[in-house]
Amino acid sequence: MRRSAYLFLAVCYVVVPLAFGGNNYLMGLVVSSLIVAGVAVAWALLGNLGGMVSFGHAAFFGVGAYASALLSMKLGVPVLLAIPLAGLIAVLFSVAMLPALRLSGPYFALAILAYAQIFRILATEMEFLTHGSGGISQIPVLPTIAGFDLSSRTGQFLLLLTLLAAFLATYDLIRRSHYGIALRAMHDSEDATRVVGVNSVLLKSWMLFVSAFMTGVIGAVNAHVINFLEPDYAFSGGWSVLPIVAAIFGGYRTVTGPAIGAVVIYLVDQLVFKALVSTGHQIILGSVLALMILFAPDGLLPLLRNALRRMRGGSHA
Amino acid sequence: MFELILQALYSGLLVGGVYALIALGLALTFGTMRVINLAHGELVLLAAYMAYVVESRLQLNPVFAVPLAVLVACTCSALVYLLVDRIRKNRELNSLMLTFAIGIIITNAVLLIFSGDVRSTGSPFMQDAVQLGPLFSMKSELGAFVVSLVLVLALWQWLSRSWYGRAVRAVSSNRDAAKLMGINPAKTELISFIVAGALAACAGVALYSSSVVHPPLGHALTVKAFIITVLAGVGSVPGVLAAALLLGVTEAMTVTLWSSALQELVGMTLFLVVLLVLPNGLFGSAKRRG
Repeated sequence: MRRSAYLFLAVCYVVVPLAFGGNNYLMGLVVSSLIVAGVAVAWALLGNLGGMVSFGHAAFFGVGAYASALLSMKLGVPVLLAIPLAGLIAVLFSVAMLPALRLSGPYFALAILAYAQIFRILATEMEFLTHGSGGISQIPVLPTIAGFDLSSRTGQFLLLLTLLAAFLATYDLIRRSHYGIALRAMHDSEDATRVVGVNSVLLKSWMLFVSAFMTGVIGAVNAHVINFLEPDYAFSGGWSVLPIVAAIFGGYRTVTGPAIGAVVIYLVDQLVFKALVSTGHQIILGSVLALMILFAPDGLLPLLRNALRRMRGGSHA
Repeated sequence: MFELILQALYSGLLVGGVYALIALGLALTFGTMRVINLAHGELVLLAAYMAYVVESRLQLNPVFAVPLAVLVACTCSALVYLLVDRIRKNRELNSLMLTFAIGIIITNAVLLIFSGDVRSTGSPFMQDAVQLGPLFSMKSELGAFVVSLVLVLALWQWLSRSWYGRAVRAVSSNRDAAKLMGINPAKTELISFIVAGALAACAGVALYSSSVVHPPLGHALTVKAFIITVLAGVGSVPGVLAAALLLGVTEAMTVTLWSSALQELVGMTLFLVVLLVLPNGLFGSAKRRG
């Protein structure tokens, strides 16, 4: 499975720019879908490994976006340095959420939602820093590295695909390490895992930090891709909802499921659903989420895998 | 200045009454089923738009929308129960995401049908001013508060006196023991959802008559109701009422003394502080959120 995933990625690097590179609109959609995919992977990492469902990943996304924009514009930090720094700043903000780790399931989910709302209001009110609801425009574009223009659609695509691959590799690495085993044991019984000497709070904090970093980085890249920010956009509930739908759709217990789910859901949503119903097309996202939870809570990827196995089994018999 | 503060206190209390009605529905279903119905605010929204339909199409006072609103909200609430009841795996979190999805569906359905415009009652009777000493309000605000208070007290009586009310409380405190005493937990849960729907319907009509509604309101109301439930702690009707009035007054005070943009911030901060510092809420019995 792992090898086929890497093979698929390698094919994407070459085929997608060659096939769609000429079509600016389509390539723009693909770039946006990768941004959603990045957040979906970060969300699933926290949900699957950490066992914590978050309704407020928009908080990290917005903090990352604003941090990178302000660092590059006010302090003149190079964009490619500002992006990882923005990830670290998102981690710094996630420290404020550590007390919420004590809360169980639904309480954690809604506490994070409250943080996201608070951050949005603060971004609107702190006008001296963020220009309030007027927003920040003319955020610097991604730079040109060794003659290759990262600010072109193809450049943005390659940068985001690389980031996504790095996220997936990190996720896989954590899952396979002995931390991953401890985290999986915590799903069954957190108390029992603590008894055998696992510091569960520390592990959960680390998952929160990793997830916040990834989301912050993606938010930062997005700020430099669209070059404009305002609080209602950067902290929009959409950045919390879309990744959840994508991850559940693809299968949030798998590593690659959320990323594939995000690309599929986003592209279908933009190309098909938006054409069918322009306002309120989120109704379809909501329906997809509801149907998935009711009929296939493990997601589409495990479903496909089982179907494939059954077909192979059938041919042997 | 003193008059302003007094007026803010009064307005906050009036709004708090409606908040109590909304939060009680959420708390009721959370008690029996251990499910946070994230579509509860959207049920209120739906009821408010039924009032809009009755007023704009039939030219009637929004009060007459109550039967239609109750029918719609109770049906939807029962539907939420039937769907949530189908979840077998990892029920706590999956039900959260399912009701969240239902909320998104309702909000966008309202947006599709009624557009995103802000709506409120046009009835001059409802908007008439009432003066209580130095304090002012609209007739509808005072009416909504009184109706809410009566319904809260009625629910309290129902929960403590009637057979079904006691069954609801029995199922929330110990489902298996309730079963052994001859209570059908599934039926009790369904009843709690239907009652919650009726409360949401009344709250929706009250909200439409005394304030303004637009599609994103549903989500905001769900969050408010959840904040109140957390403030109150689990299992106390007077606690919910007190927490709702507290939230209403705090919001009104923030708007008067500070800025209307910070209204939401104060509620959220109050919520986080109580959640993190007082895990049993302000009025809850000693029970861990474990």
